[in-house]
Order: sequence, then structure tokens, then C-alpha cells
Amino acid sequence: MAGYVLQRLGQMLLTLLAIATLTFFLMHAIPGGPFVSERMLAPEIASALNDKFGLSDPIWLQYLNYLRGIVTFDLGPSFRYPGVTVNQMIADGLPVTLRTGLLAVICVVALGVPMGIVAALNRNKWPDTAVMMLATIGVAIPSYVIATLLLYVFALRLGWVPTFGLDDWRGYILPVLALSGFWVSFVARLARSSLLETFEQDYMTTARAKGLRPGQVLFKHGLRNSLIPVVTVLGPVVANLVTGSFVIEQIFALPGIGRHFVLSITNRDYTAIMGITIFYAALLMVMILIVDLLYVWLDPRIKLQKAAQ
Amino acid sequence: MTSEPIIAPAMWEKPDRSIGAAEIITTPSLTYWQDVRQRLWANKPAVVSICFIVVLIFGAVFGPLISPFSYFEQNLRLSNIPPVFETYRVSDGAGEDTRFFLNASNFNLYQISEGGQVEGLLRGGRKDIIKKSQSFEFGATDIALDYSSRPARLLRADGTELRPEGWQWNMTYLFGTDQLGRDVLVRQLYGARISLLVAFVATLVNFFIGIFYGGIAGYIGGKTDAVMMRIVEIISTIPLMLYVILLMVVLDSGLISIVVAIGSVFWVDMARMVRGQILTLKQQDYVAAARTMGAGTGRILTRHLLPNSIGPILVTLTMLIPSAIFIESFMSFIGLGVTPPMASWGTLTSEAVETMRAYPHQLFFPAAAISLTMFAFNFLGDGLRDALDPRMRR
Amino acid sequence: MAPGEILGIVGESGSGKSITCMSILRLLKSNGRIVGGQALFDGQDLMGLDENAMSDLRGNDIGMIFQDPMTSLNPTLSVGEQVIETILRHRPISRAEARKRTIELFELVRIPSAAQRIQSFPHEFSGGMRQRVMIAMALSCDPKLLIADEPTTALDVTIQRQILLLLKQLQTQLGMAVILITHDLGVIAEVTDRIVVMYGGMVMEQGSVAELFARPRHPYTQGLLGSVPDLRDGEHKRLTPIAGTPPDMSQPPAGCPFAPRCVHAMNQCDNAIPPLYEMADAVDQIARCWLHHPEAPRIAGINVTAEEVA
Repeated sequence: MAGYVLQRLGQMLLTLLAIATLTFFLMHAIPGGPFVSERMLAPEIASALNDKFGLSDPIWLQYLNYLRGIVTFDLGPSFRYPGVTVNQMIADGLPVTLRTGLLAVICVVALGVPMGIVAALNRNKWPDTAVMMLATIGVAIPSYVIATLLLYVFALRLGWVPTFGLDDWRGYILPVLALSGFWVSFVARLARSSLLETFEQDYMTTARAKGLRPGQVLFKHGLRNSLIPVVTVLGPVVANLVTGSFVIEQIFALPGIGRHFVLSITNRDYTAIMGITIFYAALLMVMILIVDLLYVWLDPRIKLQKAAQ
Repeated sequence: MTSEPIIAPAMWEKPDRSIGAAEIITTPSLTYWQDVRQRLWANKPAVVSICFIVVLIFGAVFGPLISPFSYFEQNLRLSNIPPVFETYRVSDGAGEDTRFFLNASNFNLYQISEGGQVEGLLRGGRKDIIKKSQSFEFGATDIALDYSSRPARLLRADGTELRPEGWQWNMTYLFGTDQLGRDVLVRQLYGARISLLVAFVATLVNFFIGIFYGGIAGYIGGKTDAVMMRIVEIISTIPLMLYVILLMVVLDSGLISIVVAIGSVFWVDMARMVRGQILTLKQQDYVAAARTMGAGTGRILTRHLLPNSIGPILVTLTMLIPSAIFIESFMSFIGLGVTPPMASWGTLTSEAVETMRAYPHQLFFPAAAISLTMFAFNFLGDGLRDALDPRMRR
Repeated sequence: MAPGEILGIVGESGSGKSITCMSILRLLKSNGRIVGGQALFDGQDLMGLDENAMSDLRGNDIGMIFQDPMTSLNPTLSVGEQVIETILRHRPISRAEARKRTIELFELVRIPSAAQRIQSFPHEFSGGMRQRVMIAMALSCDPKLLIADEPTTALDVTIQRQILLLLKQLQTQLGMAVILITHDLGVIAEVTDRIVVMYGGMVMEQGSVAELFARPRHPYTQGLLGSVPDLRDGEHKRLTPIAGTPPDMSQPPAGCPFAPRCVHAMNQCDNAIPPLYEMADAVDQIARCWLHHPEAPRIAGINVTAEEVA
């Protein structure tokens, strides 16, 4: 187990290096440099700025400096906001993003899985139809559309929840719903089909033939096996919740990392874009590692394969 | 058994078995694709989706050509006109009637024809800023618009309120206009054009890269496969949306950039799927049979492996289209998509969000369009999957 | 069935052997439905029991072994746990005791180093070992009846024999009744006392092994026996397969289900399902064929012996 985790951590570092390199060179491939695009700057000011941000150094030196920065958790200063570092931007937005993200993940598991179970147990009856209809809507409608519609109906028309801000708990309801809507639906559909498939398995018949109680059969034998595919998608779920948060935070005006990211894109704040990208990637990989470990714990067949490798 | 039924002697004769009753085939046999088509046509949501998609494509291609408006032409005097309005009728005392409606959000009166065509903005007298009212003259009749309290009211000279005569659909701008006075319908259709174009081209690019990459990895196998799949694994660790955003930042927004960004990133799933298919199919006996008969790599790949994985490929493709549409609109929504005055569903939605409070119709149409399209492609994909592989139906 | 008896049920694929046994335990999947009939166990009609009483019975009084040990064990639970949970369900004992009992059971079915192996997962076992686990599981609560649904079909030929002998030996040792479902006549001949031949969901013929093999009274049984190679037989006779395939029982035929494939078929066979006729000259043999009707034409080997015709 420890070996497996170490191997995965090594892989993660390699991937991170690849991402850092890719983002660095992508950002530096933009013609004209960061200060050319919008305002016309006097040449001397531009060169002073370039000196200040180390942009007149040869590119390999910039690259090495950048890597050193990443290793020491220093993502450098923002190009657009003087005196603000990218680290500060992240630290500023992280709590909000983490809180909504975590709530959304909880929503996905706590709503999606039970919905799938209810649908599977009542196959082709009205609860199944209802859940599947809801899930189809959730899968088909893009999150930003759901978000704007929710905002329009519940905040503007009905006034039940604030239109923006997170001053009290009600402020979280719409962002979390909009963020998790797609994945709740997706997980509900997946859990349903996975459960139905499990019900057809021979070992379910065995469990019943042993005289186990229906509850035991469902939870001990059925659910555990059908949750495996659900757990496998949780990795991508976390990833997509993060990218989903860009636009959700924008719509609901939440001061999270996603909002900073979108702002730095519109401002062409290159250090911020690079820094937040790398931070996101690292965050995600940690999440995916956790999900994978969960997966190993659920399905003993995986453990062996990894050990054999 | 004691009370044996009486059985006629004829019953002990041999029966007529001339038609070979032991091997009657009850249903006519169909080829795989006939079978697939039959199953697909039997799937109502999928058929409705196909019809919807066809109509949408026709609308996107020909709609902007037929329409009297263009997607960029502005008419600021006719901005923010809703698709449906309550009409009023006022007589000028000389037998002439004027029909008009009140835009409750910007307090303008617009004259309309009997048929519901928008004819123009009605000019009134000076706005009284303090009393919050404005007077309009219709020949001998004076009407005052009082907007000191919400909703705004129209008052006759004697102080009685002018009542609306009924609802009327906007026959000039079927979906209304946006804040720059552009026809929402034509922008909508134009947006459909952009969104579908991006989706189809990006999907096609994905398709070719995915098949090529996945096919090679799966077919060669061994070390090549391991290396190629490790690359895919690394790529798929990061959310693809991040890549697309980075690429869009580098490439600058625009139609081609979006296609390039989506196309260069989303082939990963396709490649994985194709590889998996090829790996399983490669071990099938008929491939071994073809090889023993001396078929070359290219022949095996194109004649045996790819045709047999066409089902899952088709399904993945149908599922890729909605996600491409989604990504395009998502990019446009956060301001990395097509540049104005071009329109896509994403830009339309994001423009509408700004004016959502006053003019919800501008939000409703693009939101409905994108949702319905996503529905259609999802249903079609599900239907195709069920039709291609009935075992997967649950 | 008598306690301590081994009953064999034979028939080709799709003839309703497994369905019958699944119906006895009421384990049919959602697309199955029990239309009528009764199954008596200890004087109790299993069809009349409620689901609770039924699940008390399953695994406790009636144990069941399935065809494919590869898929019949839950891959995510250790094999020991799967036996232990059965015992805990039916016996008021502690977990430690159940564990001890499981180890004993594993030793009984000859799983080597049983104490360690109970922590293993099914995928770490071979097919034969898994089937032993299944047997241990079925025996865990000393059932009065063990139903073995083609227990050897999915296994290697060498393992098949081991498992069969094990079953036979456990049966003599523990004294329960066994229903052995198979399409392998060799297995039947070797292990069982009595045979039921099934076709199209119906009992076609029934009798003791000795009598039935010596003198099959039903054309279908004859066909079955004729399609099995007899290695003891010196001369190389050509095997005679039964032409055609079993009927689609979702649309059952009006008459005898075997009639379309029967060489002796008569109009009457297409007309009505024959009743079970008792054989006058055999102890306990019955056959479902119109040829045993007193007025039926005489056919050598079925309702008259070859000598009688001559």
C-alpha cells in the first residue's frame, strides 16, 4: 500500500512538472509579451516592467526561476495588481471554493446515490421515472444555464435566497445546487444502472439463497459492488466541480479561486493564470489520489493487480 | 388414469411433418444494421431528437438567409422589445385608431400594426422627471404615462386608466430584440450555426485523432501502447477544460481557436475507447483467422477491427457533440469564445444574464435552445447505444 | 424425496431443470413468475410461505450450489465472510464461533490450510476451490436438502470428478437429501439413486437409475441415452443426436413439448399434453407419453419389449 502511494506521488510530481512546463511555454508563446496587449506603454516603462518581472532574462532562466518558485510554493507576483501575489489570491479565494466544492461533492454523493438506489429498487415504476426524468434534465442542461435559471427564479422572482454573496447559509444553496446538478444526475443514473446490473449477478442469487435478509442482500452484497463504478467517477467529478466553479462563482459573484481565474483571464494576468492552473492541477491530483485509494479499499481485486505490478 | 379419455383412432396416426416443424424459424432474420435501425425507430425520444436536430440544422443553415434581419444590424430605437406584449388601442377622434404597447421596463411606447408588426417608437412630450410621467398625443386624445409607481400606468385626460385590449405576439421580431435592437431569433439561429459548426468540426477532429491514436496504440500493443497510454493518462489527469482555457488565452478568442482548442484536447476519451475496442477485438478468432490467411496490418485494421468497433465509436461521437457544444458555449460564456458581433449560444446567454432582471426573454431563448439541443443529442446517443447493443439496455 | 436420497434431474439446456429448482427456493429473477403448483418440504408448501419464513428456510434447511462458482461468489467479500454471514444469519452464535465453524467446514470440503484461506478473496481461488467454498456455504447450517444446480459444468473435467466424489461422500457422511441437476448422464449414472428426466419444463420420465437406464420408456429418454457415447461399449456405434432444439417455453405448445422432435409423434401428441403413466412392470417408473395409453400403437422398446414384438 505504501509503495503504491509512493508510486502514485512520484507520478503526480512528473505530471505536475509537465503541466508547469506546458503552461509556462504556452504563456510565453503569446506574441508580444504580457504588457503589449491592451494599453500602449512608453518603451521605458515597458522595459522597466519587464525587468521587474524578470521578463528580460533568457527564457531558460525564467523557466528555472519559475520552477524554483513552484517548489518553494511561491507563485510570484500578479502582473495586474501591484503588490498582490498569486499566493495571496489563492489563499483569498480558497476557503470559498473549497467550501462550495465540498458541499457540492457531499450533495453528489448524498443525493445522487440514494436517488439511484430508489430508482433501481422501483424499476419502471413512478419513482424510477421521476428520478430518471430529473436526472436527464440535470445531465442535459449546462450548469451555467441551470445557475442562471435558478438565480432568476429563486433569487429574482421569488426572493427566497440572496442573489449573490455568502453572508448566510442560504447564499450557498443555489451555487451548490447549480454546481452539483449535473453530477448528482450523472451519479444517480450511474448508480441506478450499476445496481440493476449487480442485481442480475449470480452472487446476488447466492446471497438470497443463503437466506440473508433483503436489507443485508441489498447493502452488503448489492451496494458495495455497484458503488465501485460510482467511486471511479468521483475523481472526474471533483475535477469537473472545480472547472464548473469558474462560471458558477462568476454568476453568483462568489469571491473564490474560480472568479479570480476568470478575472485574470479577462485581465490577461499571466502569472495568475499560470499559478492558479498549477494550483488547480495539484489540488485535483491529490483529490484523485484520495479517490483511487478509496477505490482500492472497496474492490480487493484492484489491490492485487497493483501489488503485482 | 383409471378414467382414460376416449381417443379417436385417427389420433394415433403419424402427423404431417412435411414442413420440417422441428426447425421453424418464427421471425425473419435481419442484418445487424436493419436490426439497429428497427430498434432506433422504435425508440420515440431518439426519433423525436433526430427530427429536432434535422430541423435545427436546417434552421441554422437557411434561417439567417431568409430572415429580413442580420445578426449584427443594430436598431437602438427598437431595443429590448419583448416577443409578446399587451396591446392598447387609442382613437384619435377622427376615426383613426392607434395600436401600441408599453415596454414596462424602459417605459417606451411602440406603435404596432393590426397584424402585430412593430412600426416604431411613439414620440411623446417631454418627460416630467419629478412627477415621473410623460404625455402622448393621439390626435385629439391625450394619454399620460405615469411611472411613479410600479407597474406603470396609462391614464386618459380624465384620470381614468387605459386598459390593455389583449395579448399580441410580436410579428416583426418573433423572439423580440436584444439591448442593441438586434433580432433575437436571427441571432439565435446564427448562434446555432456557430455552435453546431464548432461541435461538428471539433468532433470530427477528435474522431480522426482519437481513431488514429487509439487504433495504433491498441493494434501495436506492447511498449508502444504502454507509452502512448501513459501520455493519455497524464493528459487526462488535468481537467480538459483547463487546457482549453489556456489554449484559448494563447490563441486569442475566435471561431478557429475554439475548434483547435477543443479538437486538440478532447480526443483522449475517443482514443481510449478505440484502443479498448481494438484490444478486445484483436483477440477474437476471426482476426486470427484473417491473419492466418495472410491479411496485412492495414487490411485487418480497416476491414476487421474498425468496422466492428463502429458501434461504440458512433455512440462516443454522438456523446462528444453535446459536450463540444457545451464547451463552446461555456467558453463564450466566460468571454473566451467568438468575438462580437458574432453570436453563439454561450455569448447570447451571457449577454442576457446582464439584463436578466428586466428582459428575461433574452435569457429564455438561448437557454432553451442549448438545453433542447443537449437533450436531443443525449437522447439520440442513448437511443443509438441501446440500438447498437441491446445488452447494454437497462 | 426421502432423507439421504440423491435425486438426479437431467435434460438438455433450456429444459427447465434450473428453473424448477430456483422456483422451489422462490429465487426467480424479476422476469420469472410462478403460475401455480406446490412444492412440499417437510409437509409444508413452500409456495404458500411468506418471504420471511422462506428466507429463514433458505440456507438453513435447504442449501443450494450454483452452476458457475466464478460468478456466484461476491468478489468484494472474503470467502470466509461469505460463509460466516450465512451461519450468523441462521444460528444464534458469536462471530468467533461462526468463524471456527467456517474453518471446520473448509476442512470438511478439503480446502488446504483452511484457517488462512478464509481471509482470501474469491479471485484468489481456482474454480474448483471456489466450488468447494460454495459447498461449504451450502452445508454451513446442516441443511436437510442440498440442491446442486449443475455443480460441475463450469469446471475442468479432472476437477469435476473430485467435486462429485466430494459431494457424494459428504452426502453419505451428513445424511442429507440431495437434488443434483445436470445434463451429464454419466454424472447421474455414477452418483444418483433416482432420476427425473425433464423436457420443456415438464417431467418426462422418472424412475430409479437402474431401471431407467436399463429400459427407458419415453422416446426423449431414449434419445438422450442414444446421444451419449458409451466407452465400455467395444463397437463404435454412431451417436444419434436428437434433431431440432427445445421449444420456446414463453409460448408453450398445446401438446407434448417433445412432439415436434419425436420420431414416434402422433396427432394426439400435438393435440394434448400426455399424463404421467405408471409402468406396470417396473417398481417406481413413470413416463409422460401417449404411447403408454392402453390404445396406443405398439412400438418396440417403448411400450413393448423387442422380444414381445418378435
